[in-house]
Amino acid sequence: MDEPRATRLVEAVLRCYPARWRRRHGDEAADLAALLIRDGIPAGSVAWSYLAGAARAWLTPRPGRRLSTVACALLVAAGSLGVSAGLLASTVPARAAVTGQVHGPAQCRPGPPEPVPGVIPAMGRPRVIGWEAGHGRSC
Amino acid sequence: MTVSRRDGRAGQDVLRRVGEASVLILISLADGPKHGYALIQDIKELADVELGPGTLYGALDRLERLGLIEPLPADDRRHPYRITAPGAAALRVHLDSLERVSAAGRLRLRLGGI
Repeated sequence: MDEPRATRLVEAVLRCYPARWRRRHGDEAADLAALLIRDGIPAGSVAWSYLAGAARAWLTPRPGRRLSTVACALLVAAGSLGVSAGLLASTVPARAAVTGQVHGPAQCRPGPPEPVPGVIPAMGRPRVIGWEAGHGRSC
Repeated sequence: MTVSRRDGRAGQDVLRRVGEASVLILISLADGPKHGYALIQDIKELADVELGPGTLYGALDRLERLGLIEPLPADDRRHPYRITAPGAAALRVHLDSLERVSAAGRLRLRLGGI
């Protein structure tokens, strides 16, 4: 991905954070992303990490944020996921039928697994922490 | 967070449930203040762990809320962080706890002849 596109992608993801977070870390986070991309880390991986961080930033209860707001956000997210899953479930059998008619058994031949885009084999590379446990309220 | 132990003593291992990234950040800050990029580089070197930037900021916010680190005045656009006295104490308690568990594990491996 070229630099302007990578920058736009990261900037778009950073806009997903709460305003309070953006005021505090926004500029630094954009600079950090540029440095990491310059070091060879894929822009998609940086953007994904920020996206997960934005979700956590919204869902982590804060003293100033009422629990009901967080519960509403969770409900809306769950509802959106449910609707998406429902739509997918209703279209998959139709697509499968079409695929079966057009391509026939050639699609079902056994073979080596296809590489999954965006997934890098862990062997010989540093371990990546993309999600930190314990972000909920501590006991 | 107070952790009750079976021997009746109460430890104050506040880092037990904060996650590995937070512990690694505290270890990295133990020898002096650092900003985000320096933290990521240092943690990669010391633990062979690549922290995602989103994870980094989440952990920094959490550690700051717990009073274990504090931000220093911004240097250009970067905010360096430093470990606080309670942060250093919590890290010491946590590392002691890990050492005890590690020693027990090694002893059991020896006893088991594995």
